[in-house]
Amino acid sequence: MNRTVAKEDLDSRIFNTINIILLCICTVIIVVPLWNVVISSLSSGKALAEGGFIFWSTDFSLENYRAVFNDETIGLAFLVSIAKTFIGVITHVFFCAMIGYGLSKKYIRGRKLYVAMGVITMFFSGGMIPTYLLIKSLGLLNSFWVYIIPALFSYYDVVILMNFFRNVPDSLEESAKIDGAGDWRIFLKIFIPLSMPAMATIALFNGVGQWNDFMTTKLYITDQALYPLQMKLYEIIVQSQTQSMQNIGGSAIIETTTKGVQLATIVITTLPIVVMYPILQRYFISGMMMGAVKE
Amino acid sequence: MIKAFGKKGLILCTALMAVVLVVTGCGSKGSSDNSSKELSSIEGRYTIDPETPAWKIDTKEETTDLTWYVNADWWNTDFGKDLVTKKIKEDLNINIKFITGDDTKLNTIFAGGEMPDMLTIFDSNSPVVQKAATWALPLNDLADKYDPYFNKVAAKDTMNWFQLADGKTYGYPNYSNTQNDFDSGNIPAKTAFVIRKDVYEAIGKPTIGTPEEFKSAMQQIKKQFPEMIPFGFNSIGSGTGSLGDALQDFIGVPMETENGEFYNRNLDEDYLTWVKTLNEVYRNGDISDDSFADDGTAFEEKLKSGKYATMLLDGTPQQSGNLQIFMTENPGKEYIAIDGPQSTVGNAPTLNQSGITGWMITYVTKKAKDPAKAIQIYTYLLSEEGQKLMNYGIEGETYKVNEEGKIEFLPEIKDLQLNNADKFKKDYRMGEFMFFGHDRDKALSNDAFAESIKQMQEWGKGKLKPHFILENINPAQGTPEARSLSAIDTNWNTTLVSMIRSKDDATFESTLAAYKTFLTDNNWDKIVEIRSEKMKNNKEKLGLK
Repeated sequence: MNRTVAKEDLDSRIFNTINIILLCICTVIIVVPLWNVVISSLSSGKALAEGGFIFWSTDFSLENYRAVFNDETIGLAFLVSIAKTFIGVITHVFFCAMIGYGLSKKYIRGRKLYVAMGVITMFFSGGMIPTYLLIKSLGLLNSFWVYIIPALFSYYDVVILMNFFRNVPDSLEESAKIDGAGDWRIFLKIFIPLSMPAMATIALFNGVGQWNDFMTTKLYITDQALYPLQMKLYEIIVQSQTQSMQNIGGSAIIETTTKGVQLATIVITTLPIVVMYPILQRYFISGMMMGAVKE
Repeated sequence: MIKAFGKKGLILCTALMAVVLVVTGCGSKGSSDNSSKELSSIEGRYTIDPETPAWKIDTKEETTDLTWYVNADWWNTDFGKDLVTKKIKEDLNINIKFITGDDTKLNTIFAGGEMPDMLTIFDSNSPVVQKAATWALPLNDLADKYDPYFNKVAAKDTMNWFQLADGKTYGYPNYSNTQNDFDSGNIPAKTAFVIRKDVYEAIGKPTIGTPEEFKSAMQQIKKQFPEMIPFGFNSIGSGTGSLGDALQDFIGVPMETENGEFYNRNLDEDYLTWVKTLNEVYRNGDISDDSFADDGTAFEEKLKSGKYATMLLDGTPQQSGNLQIFMTENPGKEYIAIDGPQSTVGNAPTLNQSGITGWMITYVTKKAKDPAKAIQIYTYLLSEEGQKLMNYGIEGETYKVNEEGKIEFLPEIKDLQLNNADKFKKDYRMGEFMFFGHDRDKALSNDAFAESIKQMQEWGKGKLKPHFILENINPAQGTPEARSLSAIDTNWNTTLVSMIRSKDDATFESTLAAYKTFLTDNNWDKIVEIRSEKMKNNKEKLGLK
């Protein structure tokens, strides 16, 4: 008996060692390019043009970041980004949760029709120009609310929440009803707290989407004051690409290269997500698991 | 679920969708086509005078607000903050709000009817341009009614070139070079075969004209400078870099057949001899495989650090900044233009420059609130005064005219341009507000181009030849021929790269043969017919025989 234990012990040790080695290799494969992006963004244009470094820059410089932050409107863009992400995520999650809650109730009338209609929207969309016309007639062009209102609803997220709510035992709802709680109270006090993992998952999905989105701005916003960070950075990148074309007179000293500015941009935009991820991650894992369970 | 959803639900759903479709379909109230729009009156503001630009006599007191859409994401939308646009703002009493975007945004603008007052686009072969008569105001009418002085500053050839079927011209381009410009010698060449000066001297300044000389020079470079790439060219990407049209122009491949029809320059014997030479150079290891994969940025970075010993460089002004960086950091090693590859049948180079089609085209839309102001902008920017302002700023403030009659930046401005490009751009923005900029205005000053490319431009003198007849001769977008042509172009690009990278002569020949078969299989005859026809029209428009 002892021998089998020892053998199992040895087996699992070998298994663990191999696992650890494999994971280390994977981590290195992932981390090195990321590190290289960070370190390259901190290099002068000249060093970057010459290349040839992986772990440490040959010429440390903050010029790339200076080029990005040179634009004084970038602060405002940052605020817009934060506001649209924050408001967008909260309203989106709440709105989807309400619909998901409703649709999770078997007794609701016409539920199957709603579900079917929702499924159709997952496969067909109006297309860009009809959507533009809709947004226009809703008066949302050049309005902050164009970031929030069209993004309120996502059937995909509703399905996740719906499935999650279905897993909450009916008896819980019944007992609350006996105690005199109405639908709102049950939804807010029982279902939402119990579904935090699913909500966090959707919040993260949606938050990353909101944070990275610049197409909405490109299509519907012309007012510079409403540009989010992504749009500003997008502009900075295209402008740095065409700098040589415009500046025909030719300045001899160029501290930054297009690549450098792009890398700095990547770092700036990814950083908030990298910071947020570990905080939400523990919810994220259980959220995905629970949401995946079908009725 | 679908089963449970059942027949009833399906019918209901279909009915609902049908209703939605009908409602949205009927919803749009008449399109924005009010083609018979009367031009608003300027009575009480000024009476037109053919001898005076209207902006000088317009008495409108309130500032005119204009929205101006530019179909380029990179356009700097500031207005009125820097020296150049501030002056425009003051002189014309206008305030421009720039909107930028790409083709997607342009489509939504047209679909949504949110037309700006003015609109600038780039592709003169695009459907938007072809249909300009439906959404833009004719410049001829605008000039007659509001500002006849426009006809004095607009180039007649350019106006004729952009005339649509109704005999009117709707858009005016920048960087449109007419025959007069070519003849004047004011426009510099933008293509050159360049070599690093130190390399050239080290290999004993040989001539590199014939394929044999070219091959042996490359070998020699490789022997003496093993860390360098002997031969480079513009990034290929989805085009041909500088190895297609640019090389063809460089060795002077004819532009048309003897009876004036379209000539497939890609299959020219002389040109193919050079492609074959490049193949041999590649097989000798003197062209790097990376050169075929590098994007624009990677190419520029190699150029900036002097990795290439020689280059067939197209677009020297665009590379002048990078060349200048290398030149400043490596005195005595700068790139210089030499004669380079020559035609094997004795053709002279026929270098191309920006043609009569130009680059960006600007329109006044039918929705323009004050079309009189809009045409005044054209006149103002096209006049000598406007051209000088856009390129050099204000006399006494940023530039002076020297003894030779050339424009010269004041020392502190020059210093700023060289050492603080950001501030220069932000406070002055000269050479950047170029909606109506033209090469001929660059000739006014020695400062217009960087030191690094002056020798190259000097080398190109007398080698330019207009390619007007070949402009805008592609089949109209959306036609089957246009689709075939785009397939053929893509095929040609890969064919060219494959030919240069062939392992042996047999592969080279079979790749070429495959391209020829592809041509016959893809409507090539029809395309040639269309192109020949359009070439004929071009000649008529420009009064060439």
